[in-house]
Amino acid sequence: MTARYGSLQQRLLLGFVGVGLVSAVVASAATITGFLVVANQHPIGANRVGRRLTGWLPSTPSTQEVVLALTGIGLLLMALAVTTALSIAQRVLRPVGDLAHAADRMATGDLSVRLVPEGNDEIAGVARSFNAMADNLDRSVSTLQQLESTARRFAADVSHELRTPLAAMTAVTDVLSAHTPGMSAEAARATHLVVSEIGHLDRLVSDLIEISRFDAGTARLDAELADVHAAITSSLEIRGWRGEAVQVEAQPGLTAHLDLRRFDVVVANLVGNAVKYGRPPVLVAARREGGDLVVEVTDHGPGIAQPALPHLFERFYKADAARARSDGSGLGLAIALENARLHGGDLRAGNRPGGGAVFRLTLPGEPEPDELR
Amino acid sequence: MPQILLIEDDPHVREGLEIALRHLGHEVLARGDGEAGIAAICAYEPDVVVLDVMLPGADGFEVCRRVRAFSAVPIVMLTARSDDMDVVAGLEAGADDYLAKPVQPRVLEAKLKAVLRRVGPTTMTPLAGPVVFGDLVVDRGSLVVTKGGRHLDLTPMELRLLLELAGNPGLVLSRQQLLASVWGQDYLGDSRLVDACIQRLRAKIEDVAAEPQLLRTVRGFGYRFGP
Repeated sequence: MTARYGSLQQRLLLGFVGVGLVSAVVASAATITGFLVVANQHPIGANRVGRRLTGWLPSTPSTQEVVLALTGIGLLLMALAVTTALSIAQRVLRPVGDLAHAADRMATGDLSVRLVPEGNDEIAGVARSFNAMADNLDRSVSTLQQLESTARRFAADVSHELRTPLAAMTAVTDVLSAHTPGMSAEAARATHLVVSEIGHLDRLVSDLIEISRFDAGTARLDAELADVHAAITSSLEIRGWRGEAVQVEAQPGLTAHLDLRRFDVVVANLVGNAVKYGRPPVLVAARREGGDLVVEVTDHGPGIAQPALPHLFERFYKADAARARSDGSGLGLAIALENARLHGGDLRAGNRPGGGAVFRLTLPGEPEPDELR
Repeated sequence: MPQILLIEDDPHVREGLEIALRHLGHEVLARGDGEAGIAAICAYEPDVVVLDVMLPGADGFEVCRRVRAFSAVPIVMLTARSDDMDVVAGLEAGADDYLAKPVQPRVLEAKLKAVLRRVGPTTMTPLAGPVVFGDLVVDRGSLVVTKGGRHLDLTPMELRLLLELAGNPGLVLSRQQLLASVWGQDYLGDSRLVDACIQRLRAKIEDVAAEPQLLRTVRGFGYRFGP
């Protein structure tokens, strides 16, 4: 855009200056002819103008004087032509420049930008069209945003409403399970199914509520200085992931400002996926890279299919549509990513050159103590 | 057997939790609103209160504040939303801990046990003699705290936290350290329990709670006690 606009500017300027020069030359030629007529004192008929002019001039101008006067007038005319050309070019180009500037601002997402159309020419027409387009775009985008926020609020409301009946059911699942030994085989299987699906529904609703908190912007970071190795091992131990299957590699004494509850959610999700979909050993490695804390979770499984990679962090994304419904809610990685971002960090997925998936969590470097809380 | 008072307005959730708690061997009293709940606390003096946040009339936060005016009974809040704001508001109103609904009976049981254990007789070795910080006197032998000669009413958790801090004057203690030593929770316990208890303690021991002179925050690291 900018390059073409530059060449347009150059071309317009060249055109105006050219026209100016030609008119200056023509004007000079006309003056020269007139002067020659007068200077040579050949009154053709009753040339009053010529006679009056001769009164201004020395009675017998030398050739040198005539040439000097002519050059002076020619230069004056030329300068006048160029100045006029430049000012016209500027006046024509300013609205074009404004238009380009407005388009650039809109490209960066500022939909509030509008132009002030001046006059009634084609460029003013373009400015009015631009404003109409911006109005339409602005309206469409805000309608879409409204629809999206309504949809998200609806999902949040539904999850909250589901919570109460779910709370009543969840409370009695243990009582039900405890009585299965006295039931008929069929009733026991039915009870087991109900109990396990209540658990699944419970995780789904909890995760929906968790992600709706990120959407609503009410998720808060509660960071404190923590030992990274201790935080990771604690997450693993609570879930019984230790020993050969899951190994931790972290510098002793490595500390970072972490919201431990959220950090635990991320580590549990990444290691849980590695255990479920990858192959052991799963390695959790933490280190400092340039001031950032990097935590990598790698496994030795088949890795992530290339087409799935860009969609991995989408909500309810299933890498394999045919795969049976898993235990998870389908929101785990989306929540992990939101937690990383709440820390000001990022979470990315990829494959190791030798096979196996790699999830890389990056959290920004040590902030000054005063920046926290 | 500990007696549990359950204050929950939804009849099905109340019934479900009652069944679950009885199944676990507890004696349960259930009430459907805050007024009836407060009356039951006065009448039966339960060992622990499980209190729902969303109640008709006086909500859980208000009930909590009113109970705290006359009783140090352990309170576990059931936050229907488990929003961060709800959790913080509940703890600041005087709750000892919280649980997000829907709650697994085993998780509820573990939480009740932990709360009861914490408020039980302290296992800290009593140290003889009072410690003086300005007009605040902490007698670690008799467990009596006075400010300007006036006796201070502290809940068991507030007292434990103060004893731990007063026992390490001048040291910065992280929230995780305090969780482990005072609450006896594992590493990933919720450090907001500490923050809320610190707030309540400040309101009682500081001249101006908003400008603490004794119990200072060391941003990003924890708390330090001492003049």
